[in-house]
Amino acid sequence: MDRMDQDRVGDKLDPLWTAYREACPDVEPGAHFMPQLWQRIEAQRSAVASSWFRLWAEVWLVATVTLAIVMGAILIPRFQSNPPAYLASYVDVLAAADSANDSVLLPSGETE
Amino acid sequence: MLIEFELIEKARSGDDAAFNLVVKAYRKRILGTIARLIGRPEDVEDVGQEVFLRLYYSLDQLRAAEVFEPWLYRLTVNAAYDYLRRQKRRHESRMSDLSEQQVMMADASAGGKQQTEELRRTKVREMVHSLLDKVSEEDRILLMMKEVEGLSLKELEQIYKVNENALKVRLFRARQRVLKAFEAGEV
Repeated sequence: MDRMDQDRVGDKLDPLWTAYREACPDVEPGAHFMPQLWQRIEAQRSAVASSWFRLWAEVWLVATVTLAIVMGAILIPRFQSNPPAYLASYVDVLAAADSANDSVLLPSGETE
Repeated sequence: MLIEFELIEKARSGDDAAFNLVVKAYRKRILGTIARLIGRPEDVEDVGQEVFLRLYYSLDQLRAAEVFEPWLYRLTVNAAYDYLRRQKRRHESRMSDLSEQQVMMADASAGGKQQTEELRRTKVREMVHSLLDKVSEEDRILLMMKEVEGLSLKELEQIYKVNENALKVRLFRARQRVLKAFEAGEV
């Protein structure tokens, strides 16, 4: 770009910029400027903290669900291959006990 | 620098009292810059608080205390630019605001000389804002930082993170656009 062009532009606009600078002095902050600033800082701080807490909670939730699925996948097949004794119903257990008692004779004259 | 490097280091390490002192030292200057950049007195404090809020949460990224001022100006420029983009200010609304301001000043000032002076200032502000409407928000801020705030090309280089030649070209084009509008009497 041409140096003379720059000077030409500068010469014409410089007084205007100077006048503008004088017409817009620095601004004196109001009494509430600092308290409001700290309020905004605190609000952002708690927003950040709560988002961290939410992230932390989500991580724990995902970990818990994953653990439950893994445990289920390992333990359910194991239970299915060795069914425990208590799988029989209460009625079945009573019936089995009765049939065992059939061979035992009660002494004559005695009632249950 | 308006403050000692030590104070910036303290604020950077999380000392809230030191940060408070940093804000107190720079707030008047930053609010003045914002007022000139955005041209809306009622929003100056809000944008100013946004600048210092960003400063608070980004101070730990500051490389060295020596580059604190360009850093703060960069935050100011970004906040002003965000504001201008959000507002998409219309010439009409600003004109009505200025008229209102004019009326308020006229009411407030008892002396005729003071009133005339304030009217002259209002006219200058109005004229510069109208001229700056001819360039983009980016160029408006660049011109303001160079011509009104008086920042050097080196300082602007640090703020904009572009080389000096690119800045010179951009400034030249923006100045020419403003001059063209000025000479054509489009204000």
